[in-house]
Amino acid sequence: MTTSEDAVAVLGAQAPPAARWGSRWRLALPVGLLAVPMLAFLAYFFFYPAIQLLLSSIQTQDSRGIIGRPFTLAHYTRLINVELYARVLWTTLRISIITSVLATVLAYPVALVMVKSRPMITRIITLIVIAPLIVSVVVRGYGWQLILQNGPKGMLNWILMTLHVVDAPLSVLYTEAAVVIGSLHVFFPMMVLPLASALGKIDPNLEDAARMLGAPWWRVFLRVTLPLSMPGFVAGFTLVFSLTAGSFVIPAILGGASAVMLGNLIEQQIFVVYDWPFGAAIAVVLVGLVLAINGVSMWLLEGRRLRRPE
Amino acid sequence: MDERFSGFGAFILSTITAGMMVFILAPLLLVMAVSVSDSYFVTFPPQGFTLKWYAKVLQDRDFLEAMRLSILLALGTTAGSLLLGVPAAFALVRGNFFGLAAIKGFLLSPLIFPALITGLALLQVLTKLGSQDARLNLLIGHVVVTSPYVIRTVVTSLQLVDENLEDAARTLGANRLTTFWRVTLPQIASGVAAGGLFAFMVSFDNYPVTMWLANSEYSPVPLVLMRQLVNVFDPSVPAMSTIIILMAMVGVLLLEKLVGLRRALAA
Repeated sequence: MTTSEDAVAVLGAQAPPAARWGSRWRLALPVGLLAVPMLAFLAYFFFYPAIQLLLSSIQTQDSRGIIGRPFTLAHYTRLINVELYARVLWTTLRISIITSVLATVLAYPVALVMVKSRPMITRIITLIVIAPLIVSVVVRGYGWQLILQNGPKGMLNWILMTLHVVDAPLSVLYTEAAVVIGSLHVFFPMMVLPLASALGKIDPNLEDAARMLGAPWWRVFLRVTLPLSMPGFVAGFTLVFSLTAGSFVIPAILGGASAVMLGNLIEQQIFVVYDWPFGAAIAVVLVGLVLAINGVSMWLLEGRRLRRPE
Repeated sequence: MDERFSGFGAFILSTITAGMMVFILAPLLLVMAVSVSDSYFVTFPPQGFTLKWYAKVLQDRDFLEAMRLSILLALGTTAGSLLLGVPAAFALVRGNFFGLAAIKGFLLSPLIFPALITGLALLQVLTKLGSQDARLNLLIGHVVVTSPYVIRTVVTSLQLVDENLEDAARTLGANRLTTFWRVTLPQIASGVAAGGLFAFMVSFDNYPVTMWLANSEYSPVPLVLMRQLVNVFDPSVPAMSTIIILMAMVGVLLLEKLVGLRRALAA
């Protein structure tokens, strides 16, 4: 007997008949394997490209446009040392922070009303908050362009001048303020929804108890509702900050030359200047910014470092 | 507002909420209003009433071609992300293996990664591979950003499925495929449909990924719209925008019917 015949004999003795073997195999098939196609797809078309991008950000590009060695950190130092680029980085940070803070302040009342109202009103508010989410960002940016239009033909200026609030038209379009307004509009639902879901989970008995013990509404809010809604706040703030920092369309439509953000700088470096490594370095900084804020929020949420009221 | 909020507090809350509702609706309503304005420049307040800009848009070759391309792309993206996402969601909910949480994070990570960078990174790799077919490249890019949405909605609906029903079917002699097809799928159908609708809408509207992977021959709707916005000043741009707003509204209503909006967007 050869070794292979030996193996067949051993297998034959132990394996069930072919048909049964097949069905056993199907039953035993680990359900986890179903994730393999998507894992493979993302590994190849998402993670591998991301690593390639990281790699090209520390490489150099020769005069023929070929990217390779030597490795360098020059693109990163350039982003910080050249005033023009450093300013874009600060503009991005500033616009993202202002938008997230404004979104929080304005979303909190909306989320509260959404959760505490009669079902009919809750439904209407939900629909109004969510519906624009599905309308193209380009269209929404265009809508704001029409409203903020500089000169007396813009809707905002027309209203303000008709009501005699101002005598001369304001110049809002192509400023940072315009980008903040547009971003607030686009990402507002991302703040309202997590807040509303956190507020909805609060046991109303806790608030009732505080009230019965004589706390005025603002104290109930500050000591009970607000602390318990912190997970929603952290989630919403993170989402709005990340999305604003990584946005391209709104600053392109509403910011003009005076509110260029990182996304627009990347596009310019790749499509206009063809400086791939520098574009990649800016991209890495942007990703770093987004991952950092996400990391902090996960640390806050999962470490239960948000204080619960005693 | 119920009695738990009273007096001054309730007044402030309602005022801010009402103000935000106006803020949210204003740009959309304005776009719709000027799209029927009977003047050759977009101005406020709109003058007269006409549908001629819609007639113009519906004869605009570029726009119609972009519409056709975007719809085909979004359909392909929907199919692709359902094929990859539904089985993966199944694995995440029913699987019981080492590193499940890590794999879930891995599969959902395109959601927190800026889409602009996803597109850029993909462009670099696809260029290196020599893939010149813009349609294929767009399809790949769109599936990367939409499949996590499918996973999220399908995972949510799978968690609500009663596994006892599946066990019952299996005990009665149904095999895995029959059980899935006849017992599981009907229960998660609305979740799958919502995931697919999400994929369609995200793909149809995607700018940041599309920007890198499209070329002059294959430009989907968001790119064409952005171009028109810079070059065209008559109300045909608001007319195009209104068509897109109305399509989105249909999508929202479908989503509301299928799963309820809050649930579709939560988790």
